[in-house]
Amino acid sequence: MAFFGFSTGALSLGNFQEALRLVHGTSMTAVELSALRLPELPVLVDALPTLDLSQFSYVSVHAPSRFSASEEDNVIDLLRKVPEKWPIILHPDTIHDPEKWAGFGNQLAIENLDRRKSDARSAEELDRWFDRLPNARLCFDMAHAHQCDRTMTEAFRILLRFRGRICQLHISELDSAGHHFPLSYGSIQAFSEVASLIPADSPAILESLNPLHGAGNDLQKIWMEREISRASKAIGRGEMLPDSPVSSGLAAFSSTPIPA
Amino acid sequence: MSNSSCKGQGGSPLDELAELLQCRWKNIDQAKQKTLGTLEQLSKIIEGKPGADTSVIVHGSLARRECTRGSDLDWTLLVDGVADASVQQTFLAIKNALNDETAFSQLGLEKPGRQGTFGALTFSQPMMHYIGGEEDSNSNTTRRVLLLLEALPVGERLKAFERVRQGVLRRYLDEDRGLLRKNTDGTNLRWVPLFLLNDFARYWRTIAVDFAYKQFDRGNKGYALRSIKLGVSRKLLFASGLLACFWCDPEVSKDETLEPRKQSLVSCLDAFFSWTPLERIASFFVVHTRGSQSKFIRETASELFSAYDDFLDLLNNTEKRKHLDELKPGDEETDIVFKEARMMRKRFRLAIQNMFLHQDSPLYKHSIEKGVF
Repeated sequence: MAFFGFSTGALSLGNFQEALRLVHGTSMTAVELSALRLPELPVLVDALPTLDLSQFSYVSVHAPSRFSASEEDNVIDLLRKVPEKWPIILHPDTIHDPEKWAGFGNQLAIENLDRRKSDARSAEELDRWFDRLPNARLCFDMAHAHQCDRTMTEAFRILLRFRGRICQLHISELDSAGHHFPLSYGSIQAFSEVASLIPADSPAILESLNPLHGAGNDLQKIWMEREISRASKAIGRGEMLPDSPVSSGLAAFSSTPIPA
Repeated sequence: MSNSSCKGQGGSPLDELAELLQCRWKNIDQAKQKTLGTLEQLSKIIEGKPGADTSVIVHGSLARRECTRGSDLDWTLLVDGVADASVQQTFLAIKNALNDETAFSQLGLEKPGRQGTFGALTFSQPMMHYIGGEEDSNSNTTRRVLLLLEALPVGERLKAFERVRQGVLRRYLDEDRGLLRKNTDGTNLRWVPLFLLNDFARYWRTIAVDFAYKQFDRGNKGYALRSIKLGVSRKLLFASGLLACFWCDPEVSKDETLEPRKQSLVSCLDAFFSWTPLERIASFFVVHTRGSQSKFIRETASELFSAYDDFLDLLNNTEKRKHLDELKPGDEETDIVFKEARMMRKRFRLAIQNMFLHQDSPLYKHSIEKGVF
């Protein structure tokens, strides 16, 4: 069974409650609760016991993408409150002391990074992180791999070496400045080239920025389902939904890029 | 003659081959050491200047790690990012730092070549998009092919270079419709990328034609030295490119990890082009010498590297180099230095011919079937 869903941060920046309301009633069976910015983490952790996540068979939490060494212990303490069966997605370049993170074992999933970063972009760079965190798993971000190398050769290398560690995928399109966008023809083509190397049961979390944020809920839900359909096609798990009358109207909404 | 002596080395394919053959190529070794020192200096000079989507790349003898006295500095700032006019400022800052007389004396190098192809700002898109066709100028072809065959990123910013090299490689493979497909008789897969091979062949012929053009344009000035370089270091470059194409075939590279998919070939070629031309050639001989008693392979390798070692010895000799550079047309037949150089060039040519075209060579079938017609 393959799980698809969205990152709450992509659907509604900094507002996981609103994002969860939006996905209610859709076909999504997976979700990533995003706390990319440090102040979001305590709010999210406090809310965890109250959230209705019964729709989802797979839940993960994205840790903050930036914090200081003095804040690291506090971040770790907060993340310890995340249920053990939920993977914690972490950008390895935020780590100050890897030993402190080793205790999470295979609950921790480090993510391959985009080309603005100076680490964790290639198979070799990831290898060094898995040396330090040998039980950690991998959140394979296809957009980051595609942005680092448009030929998907680096994605191929990463998959060859670490496909056994993959616990979830991140799917979206990324421009050269690191902004997330909905999938295009080019990214679907590129992702499909390595699809056969991705474990069939890897949950797929979309980070495509919601271009309809603020529009009617029904319209946003249609867009989400279509984007999931495109992601499914990109990783070889199904056909895209046929064009709907709504899709032509989607172009009228412009997207506001957010940082990766 | 050669300063070769029989002593093992360790490290790169070149060192591994030297160990297998129980040889040491002193001039190749010295040139490599000199290059490493120069590259270190160069990295310091450009430190902090290139931006995130750029790489400073050196070509020529520096990229081959074959610096000798009189080697020059051919460099380019490669840009692979969003449109940004400020890269011109970066380029000028690097150019000014490198044009400083002190910098050149520190590096022990000559300034860029007179054609102006190098010491330049280069953008990734034309290199990747214009392969063949009207827009593929002589300079564009040169930059692209040298990016694969003879380029080394310097300093801390390497990613732009790596991205573009992989992108260019992928372009060659994508347009090659018969690649990784079975032959018409339903037998073996075609592993050799012919679009890439044809562009290497075209580049080699372009150099040869431009050799005659320079002779015409410069009134034979520098003819003798250029002629020797064409027959040795330029020929080595082409040979290493031709070999790279054949290397994609697991039968040649003995690489059991190769998969019949384009990413696997890009990965293989990318790794192969990370070696210097001499190291690429050495890789072939290492793979086919290891576990084999073939006298032919060993002798061909010894002769090829010994001749090349002599070539570097010649280039490192300021007097002989100057003599050849200033040799007047018509004096070649009687000139002792030129005759000695020509003999070395002939030894190199015969060794290269044996490597690719001798019936005992593992490359023979590929050279005939793919390299010629």
